[in-house]
This record gives sequence, structure tokens and C-alpha cells, in this order.
Amino acid sequence: MCAVTQGQRGKTMNLIKQKLTELDPDLLFAVILSLCVFSFFAFSNPLFFTLNAGFSIMERFAVLGLVGLALTLCIIAGEIDLSIGSNAALSAVIVVRLTDSMGAFPAIGIGVLCATLIGLAQGYLIAYLKVRAIVLTVGTLMLLRGVALFAADEKTVMLTDFRMTDFIQEKIWIFFSPASLLVILLFIIVGVFIKYTKYGREIYAIGGARKEAIASGVNLKRPMMIVFALSGFCAGMGGAIIGLRSGTAQPLALQYLLLAATVAAFIGGVNILGGKGSVIGAAVGVLTVNFLNTGLVYNVTPSYVVQIYLGVLLLIVIVFQTLSILYDKGKQRRLLLHDTALTKQKMIDAYKSVLK
Amino acid sequence: MSALEYSASMSAGWLAKKITKENRVGFAILVVISIAFIYFAIATPNYLSVFNVKTIIRDAAIVGIMGIGLTFVTLSGNFFLLSMKETAALSIIVFAMGMSNDYGFIFSMLGAMSIAVLAGAFQGILIGLGGNPIIVTLGAAGILYGVASWWSDNLVIFFKRPHDAEWLGTGMVLGVPTITISFVIFAIIAELVLRKTRFGRQVYLVGANRAAGKATGHENLPMAIKTCIIASACCAFAAIAFSAQMSSAQANYFSSEFGSSGDLTILVIATVMVAGNSIMGGYGSVLRTSLGAVFISATDNLMVLQGFNSGARVLSVGLMIVLSILIFAYVRRDSRSEG
Amino acid sequence: MQLSNIRRSFGSIHALKGVDLNINHGEIIGLVGENGAGKSTLMKIMSGFDDGFEGEFLVDNVPVKLGTPQKAQEQGIAIAQQELSLIPALTVAENIFIGGDHGPTVASLGQLSKMARPFLDEVGLENVSAKTLVNRLSIGERQLVEVARLIAHKPNLLILDEPTAALGESDSNRILEMVKRLKAAGKSVIYVSHRLDEIFKITDRCIILRDGLSQDSVDTKELDTNKLVSMMLGRELHSMFPPRDFSKNNTKNKTIRFEVNSLWPDRTLVPINMKIYAGEILGLAGQLGSGSGEVLAAMAGMHDTQGGSITDCYTQENYLPKNAKQAISKGIAYGSPDRKYDGLFLGRSISENLSSPNLKGISSKGIIQPQKERPLVEDIAKSFTIDLTRLAQEASVLSGGNQQKVALGKWLSISPELILIDEPTRGVDVGARAEIYNKVREIADSGKAVVIASTDLLEISNLPDRVICFYKGCYVSELVGEEINSTNILQAITNPENILLEDAS
Repeated sequence: MCAVTQGQRGKTMNLIKQKLTELDPDLLFAVILSLCVFSFFAFSNPLFFTLNAGFSIMERFAVLGLVGLALTLCIIAGEIDLSIGSNAALSAVIVVRLTDSMGAFPAIGIGVLCATLIGLAQGYLIAYLKVRAIVLTVGTLMLLRGVALFAADEKTVMLTDFRMTDFIQEKIWIFFSPASLLVILLFIIVGVFIKYTKYGREIYAIGGARKEAIASGVNLKRPMMIVFALSGFCAGMGGAIIGLRSGTAQPLALQYLLLAATVAAFIGGVNILGGKGSVIGAAVGVLTVNFLNTGLVYNVTPSYVVQIYLGVLLLIVIVFQTLSILYDKGKQRRLLLHDTALTKQKMIDAYKSVLK
Repeated sequence: MSALEYSASMSAGWLAKKITKENRVGFAILVVISIAFIYFAIATPNYLSVFNVKTIIRDAAIVGIMGIGLTFVTLSGNFFLLSMKETAALSIIVFAMGMSNDYGFIFSMLGAMSIAVLAGAFQGILIGLGGNPIIVTLGAAGILYGVASWWSDNLVIFFKRPHDAEWLGTGMVLGVPTITISFVIFAIIAELVLRKTRFGRQVYLVGANRAAGKATGHENLPMAIKTCIIASACCAFAAIAFSAQMSSAQANYFSSEFGSSGDLTILVIATVMVAGNSIMGGYGSVLRTSLGAVFISATDNLMVLQGFNSGARVLSVGLMIVLSILIFAYVRRDSRSEG
Repeated sequence: MQLSNIRRSFGSIHALKGVDLNINHGEIIGLVGENGAGKSTLMKIMSGFDDGFEGEFLVDNVPVKLGTPQKAQEQGIAIAQQELSLIPALTVAENIFIGGDHGPTVASLGQLSKMARPFLDEVGLENVSAKTLVNRLSIGERQLVEVARLIAHKPNLLILDEPTAALGESDSNRILEMVKRLKAAGKSVIYVSHRLDEIFKITDRCIILRDGLSQDSVDTKELDTNKLVSMMLGRELHSMFPPRDFSKNNTKNKTIRFEVNSLWPDRTLVPINMKIYAGEILGLAGQLGSGSGEVLAAMAGMHDTQGGSITDCYTQENYLPKNAKQAISKGIAYGSPDRKYDGLFLGRSISENLSSPNLKGISSKGIIQPQKERPLVEDIAKSFTIDLTRLAQEASVLSGGNQQKVALGKWLSISPELILIDEPTRGVDVGARAEIYNKVREIADSGKAVVIASTDLLEISNLPDRVICFYKGCYVSELVGEEINSTNILQAITNPENILLEDAS
């Protein structure tokens, strides 16, 4: 009797151990960090733990989630889209301007379409002219700002009828709104796409091992254009949501999105060298940043202090990643040395048996 | 042959050698742009006046000085810093605090410089140890700006006129603004350092091939630290000069609305890239950066005189950056390695 | 497949001057030849990466025009390059189906694993789950996965380029087993390798390339090492090597210049001890990964070690450099095997390249003194026969041979006492090779210590005065004077019976 239960316990322990080792340490770190941040704010400020706060968090998630997802994909593919903030601002301007004349949905459609085409164009240039994304998006960051300024006539664009867009903020199931639900759906779709289709795998391939991917026959252009088109789409959608939610659009706004989304992406386990990361990680990272943001706002912290926190958080994550890369290298070296010792032993044994 | 004819034929010969088969397209585009530019320049009233030219160069000075500092970072193969305007923001606050508390120019300047040097060293260490420059400086930017706003409570700091730094802010030497002269001096010194000193040579070598640099005894870590310090120090100087001009400082002076041409950091990066410095490092010069600064300023000036609003100006600078990136990428596509 | 009279030139370089190659279904052919004989050019042509050749190319008696690798795949030809092209962050199954259209567009990992299973079994990876991440596999397993990926395209002809180059004994055997299995399944294999023992084990026939020409194919049964080596090397090429004076090997006349004590670089099985004499060229022979290259790199601080040191017998100093800077300060020069990666600053001028290791020496108080740099650079250029008028040009415009001269020549700027060169003439044409060999001999004759590591059999048998042979991370034997010839070396570096183990009786 005792032997059987002990055996079973042993088996489950082994199973748990096996599952734990299979877990991605970066994702684990992200989840733990996210829980820490949440608990910190929940304990220090009773207001944080309310349903309203939850709704507020999800609302932020809607926008930052999109941008974080887009940036995560870019970094997985080994590139980065610095122009995402400007693209979003442009989209916001377009959507807000057009809503008065043609209603919310067509306006959203046009805004998102523009942003996606812009992203597609950037992807095309990066793939065909072999320009590095870092370099190109520095320029397009500025270019799109100019276009946004132009489209907004240098002003802050506003809706005439704010009620037209109230539906975006309707509460559904306490925490959610049409916006956040849409974004969650998008996360699921993109997650499935990345994991289960050939195109998704190609994105991972060109990230971490670009030379090998090309040598394997992967056409660089397709995944690159997909990634940047998606990035444009997310930027467009995010801008549309922000624009309609507040009813205004400033052509020079939304630059903070880049830092916040980058922090979110890195918390979520993305690696600057590419090839690593996940949609779930992105979601966790975005939530963490949202907890931080909302928590600080509830603690009446000015936005520039929030930036300090974000910057520090980013550097912590970078340091953690660098350390874990070093640790990995050390582990590989030990494996190598262990292997050589084994080989040596095998040879000695082989000779001993021959000599006998 | 007269001297003029001789030099003309020599330059023509040199020029002809530069136009290789690959360069032809890039060169043609350059020629088209130059012609368009010259046309508009002549067509716009007052554009080519001495006063206007001085204005152009003066407007280019602040961005140009920062660009000169950034050039070191780019040439060494460390891409660029996204924290330039935030370093400037912090420096300007420290400087203004010093000035408004009557510490005088020297102390205030030292204070601002030291902060900038520290910030640069910090980022340089992280980058040299293997951190990606974009990410590291993105994070540092948030921290620097936050500290700047926090220290100054996001208020404007004034210091009375006349003050110790008048010579820098509004002063003139022989009819040329001191700021412009500083720009020229910085450019000359920087170019000399790059061409003639051991450090400058190391910058080029490590930028051209980091692995080969390592194999010949030149590691990236000291390079990253030194170049980041130089870039940050230049930001500090530019900030000080601007503060002297305005006799005040606020943390957001360098934010979105600076110079009506948009994001200062992007503008500085633009001055480095527009004239052809290689983003991968190892090729280029401060001369190119200075030309880039002047060119951007000239274009902006042209548009102002023609009556364009800020949207168009931001757009055109952005367009210039993108086009120059594409042109140089196309022209150099053969001599670059993949990925 | 049938290739007749294939010719290929790149400008003035004739890579292939007339190659014939036939292969039938279910045959394994060994393709052998020295570096530069034209093997890689031929393989590129066969696999569709190169179509600028002249000559006949028939597949199943039908002439084909393969413009792209994809077309070659359609014809049933697949090639496994020497550099693995697996993506470490993805799983085995995902790697097998990535790239190309033979995989499904939408599939879960489980489905892909099922589809990958038969291919994995065919290459002998029955015990490896298709869901494993590639970066967790050993290098031998990765090589097999690479071939599995090829098979997934269902080819009729596989070209394997040095599949066992980086593998240990047991992994190499798995590859050989797999090749035999492929033959049993009716596929044809072209097996390219420097490891002649493997050629003897599995090939039916051998095609030997030499200097862009193919010899008539020979049945492997009729070959032995000697015959094969002599067919590969020929006799005319010996003239490019400077004559050696073996009387110098009389130990009484020699002074030990450096001693390597218990140096244990990573990947070597046991610590290595060597004596390096002044005025001689010491050669380290061994295949890739055998330890010859690792020892050299470790001596210069460019490779991790578990311990050991170098003793400078003139100064009695004992040290081990940890990086290039330290090595340079001790007068150690190290020419790496891959000049494009870390031997040259391609975007900078030749002059700057030549002075790069010794910036301190040409500057005072931090400022570079042109009056010191120019004579130094010109001296080096003259002694390596680099055209002085080209010194201001970018290093990238030079030919391979001249680039190698710059990559090696720059080390003269530190007036080194110990010169270490790994692969002195990789990718270098015959003319430049002779110049480099002469220069190396000159440096040795002037009293310096020179150590060369090379996988080029011709080079390692004709240049050094003394040769130490390595095999799979062990020191095997030392050949002196008349003992140095290609057969002895080849035997030592491929034949396990001669291993010297520290605790073997």
C-alpha cells in the first residue's frame, strides 16, 4: 500500500519537475514580475484593487497591447519598428477627422488601412533594398509625424459629436469594452498564426538565424512584409482606439508608446537578437506595464516619474537577459568540457579492451 | 593653363573617378537634388543673402554640435543614442539651476557637463558589455528625462540677464554669433581627432570590423564608453548654449516642439546620416555630419521663407532622411554583408 | 546524373577546366580533391546555385538548365552544405519543413512531428523526438536533421559536403550508416570529404579533382591511401614551396625558443606540450576540430582553455594571454583562419590595416605620426610584395591572395617573436601562395619562431620543418625531417591506432 502511493507521488514529482524544466525561464520571470507589480500596488493603494481600476487597466491594455504585440513581432523577426508611435498618431488624426463626415466605422477602416499600407511599404523597402529596419524607421518616424501634422493642419483634431464614439468605452463583463475585447481577439488570432502556420515560423526563423533561414530557402520578403504590415495594422488600430476614445487626436502625441511597448515586449521574454518570444509573453509584458502605469496614476505620480520607472524596468530586464545569456554560455562550455571528458573516457576504455 | 583651369580639370578628373558604374544612379539622384535645390535657392528672395546664410548656419549650430558628438558613436559601430534630447534636457536643468543660484558660468557648466558625462559613461558601459544601443538608450532616455522633470518640478527656471553666459548665448565675434563659431570649432577639433589621433583611428577600426578590432587589441568596451561620453558632452554643451540664449530652462525645452522641425533626437540622427556616414560604422566623417546639419537647416530655412507651415517642414526633413537612407543603401548594397 | 566537360571561369581564374562526372541510381561516389581544386565550384553547379558554366549537364539523360536551387530541387537534387543551416530556436519538425513548398501551410506542432517522423527514422534519429528544439541537439544529431530535411524534399540525388567535418567518431559512424541506408533505398549520393578513411568505407567509386580537372573515376576497391593521395596532389605543384634544409633539424644546433606547457584548450582531450625552436617552421596537422587550430588560438588568447602556459625561453617569463592585447604585448602574432571575419578591416585602407595592431608604436602622446606610420607600412608592403601605389585603397578591392598578404602582413608591425598562423593560404591563388610561403620561410630564417596549422595536406607536408599531428583532440605523433610527407601525415591524422594517450601503456 505505502509503496504504491509513494511510487505515485514520485511519479507526479517527476512530472512536475519535468514540466518546470520545460518552462521558459523568461516567461516565468515575466509572470512573477507581473504578479509582484500587481501586488505592490494592490497593497499600497486600496483604490487599485477595485473593479474600476481593472477596467482602466484593460482599457490601457487595448492600446498598449496592440503596440506591444506589433513590437514583439518585429523584434522576434530581428528588426524593430521605431515609427510605430508616429504611425498610430497619424491614424488617430485620420480617424478623428473622418468620423464626423462618414461615421465611426468607415473612418476606422480607412485609418487602419492607411497604417497597414504604410507598414507594408516599410516592410517592402526593408526586404527589397536590404535596409536595416532600425535605420529606415528612424526616418519614417519623422516622415509620418510630418504627414500627421499636415493631415491635422497643425492643430489638435476634435470630434464634433463626442457621443458618436461612446460605444467604444461601453463596459462589457465589468472589465472589458469593445476595444479591449477586439484586442484580445487579435492576440488570439496572431498567436495561432505564429504557432501553427508556416508563415509564422518563418518569422521566428528570420529573427534568430537569418543566414541559416535564407540558406534553408526561406524567402526573406514574405515574413518581413507580413511583420511590418501587422505592425502598421496594430498601430493603426491603436491610434483609432485612442482617437475615438478621447475624441481628440494630436499629431505629435503617442511617442511614449515606443518606450512602453518596448519595455512590455522585453518583459514578455523577447530577445534583442531575435527568434525568441511569444504572444502570451507579450500579453504578460503589456499587463505588467499596465499595472505599473495604472498603479502609479492612482498614486498620483506625474507622468515623467512614470517614465523613470519604465526606463529602470527596461534596464533591469536587459541586465537580466544579458546575465542569462552569460549563464547559458557558461553552461554550454561546461557541457562541452563534460562531453570531451566523456569522449576521452570512451577512448581509454576502447583501448583497454583492445589491449586485453 | 591658369590655376583656375587646372584646378577645374583636376576636380573634374577626381569627380569622374568617383562615378563608378554602381554609383551612377546615386550620383544622378544627387545631381537632380542639387539642381532642384539651387533653383529654389535662387528663386526665393533673400535666400542667398549673407544674413540668411549666417542664419542658416546658426540654426544648424545646436543640432550640429550634438550631431558631431553622435558621429563618434556611429562611426564606432554602436549605431546611435536615442537619449540625446533627454541628456540635453537634464544638462539644461542643471546648468540653469546653477546659473539661477548665482554659481556662475564655470560651475554651472561643470555641473551640467559632469552629469552628462556620467550619463554617457553609464550607457557606454552597458552598450560595451553587449547591450543593444537602441534599447539601452531608450531606457536611459526615460530615466534621464524623468529625473530632469523631477528635479525641476517641471517648472521653468529663469536666470537674470545679463548673465555670465551672455557671450555664448547672444554674443558675437566679428559679426558671427558665438554659437556658430563654437559649431565650427567643434567640427574642426572633432575631425582632427578622428583623423590624426590614435583614438580616432581606433574608432574607425572598431567600427569597420569589431571582430578584427578585437583580434588586433582594440576592444569595443572602451570605445563605447568614450564615444558615448563625447556624444553626451556635446549634448550638454548644446544645451548650455541654448539655455544661455533663452536665459532659462525647462525640462521639455527639447521635446517635441523643438526648432519646429520635430523630434530633436531624430533630427540629430538625421544630420549624421543624411550626408552618407555609414550606419554600420567604420566609414564617414564629422565633415559629412556638419554638411548634413547645414543642409537640413538650409532646407528648413528655404521652406520657412517660402511660407510652408511646420507640418510640411517636418515632412520634408523626414523625407530627406528616408531618401538619403534609401539612396545610400542602394549605392552601397554590393559592399555590405548580409544581415 | 551526367556532367561532361564542365568548364567554369571567374574572370581570369579558371576554376574548372574540364570535369566529367557520372553517377547512377543507387551509387555512392566520393568526390575528393585539395582545397582550390574546384570541388565547391562543381557542387554549386550541380545544385543549381551557379549556372554560368559551359558543358553538358544531363539528368536522367535529359539536358537541364538549373538557374536556381529551387529548380535543382525539382529535378530531385539536394545538397547539404558544410555550414549547417538549421534554425536553433525552432524544433526539429519545424526545421524540416521550413522553406520550400513541401510542407503544409497550417499545421500544429503535433501534426508536423508526425509528418517528420519517417524522415527522422530514415536518417537514424529514431530516438529523437521531432518536438525537440534544435539548439538542444548535439552537433552530430543536428547534422542528421539537416539531411532529414533534405530527404523531406524526396530527392534522388544527395550531395553531402563534408558532413562529418565537425563530428566525433560515433556521430560520424551514424552519418555513414545513414548514407548506406540511402543507397539501399535506391538514392544516389555524392560524398565530398577530406576524410579518406570514410571514402574508403562507403563509396563505390571515386572522382578526383585536381586543379580544375577531373581524373577518370576509379573504383574505390582499387584504391589505397597512397594512390589516392598521389592522384589528388600531383607532382608539379611542389615548386611553389621554398626548399627546406633538414640538416638544421640536428638537435644540437637548435635552441628552444618557446615551450608550451600543459596547454588545454577547450575541445582538446588532454593538455598539450610542445617545444618550439627558433628559426624553424613548426606545422600542426589535423582535421577540423582535431585540436591543431584550437591550440594555436589558445596560445594567442583567442580561445578558452582549462589551463596551461607558454614559457618564453629567452626571458624565462611564463604566461598565457587572455586576449589579443596581451598576446600582442608579449610579441605573439596570430593570423586567424577566417580573414573576412576578423583578419581584415575591409572598409579601411590597406595602410590602416597594416598598422592596426601597433597603433601605440606609430603614435606619440596619442597622436598618430605619419612619419612613423608611412615607413612602417611601406616596409611591410614591400616585403610582402604588395603594390605600394595601392596603399591608400580600401582593402576590399584586393584579390584573395593580396588580402591574405595584408591580413598576415599587418602582424609584422608589432615585430613579433612568435608567429602563429592558422590556414596561411586559404582561398589564395597559386602565385600569392608562393609569395606567402617564401615570406614565412624568410621570417623563420631570421630567427623567429613560426607555427602553422593547416588542413591543406600539400601545404602541411611541404612547408614546415617539423610536423605535429593531431587527431580528434589528441596529440598523435611528431614527424621530423624526411619523415614529413603527405602519406605519413594523412595516416596520422585519420587513423586512430596511433593515438598517444597519457595513460595508455
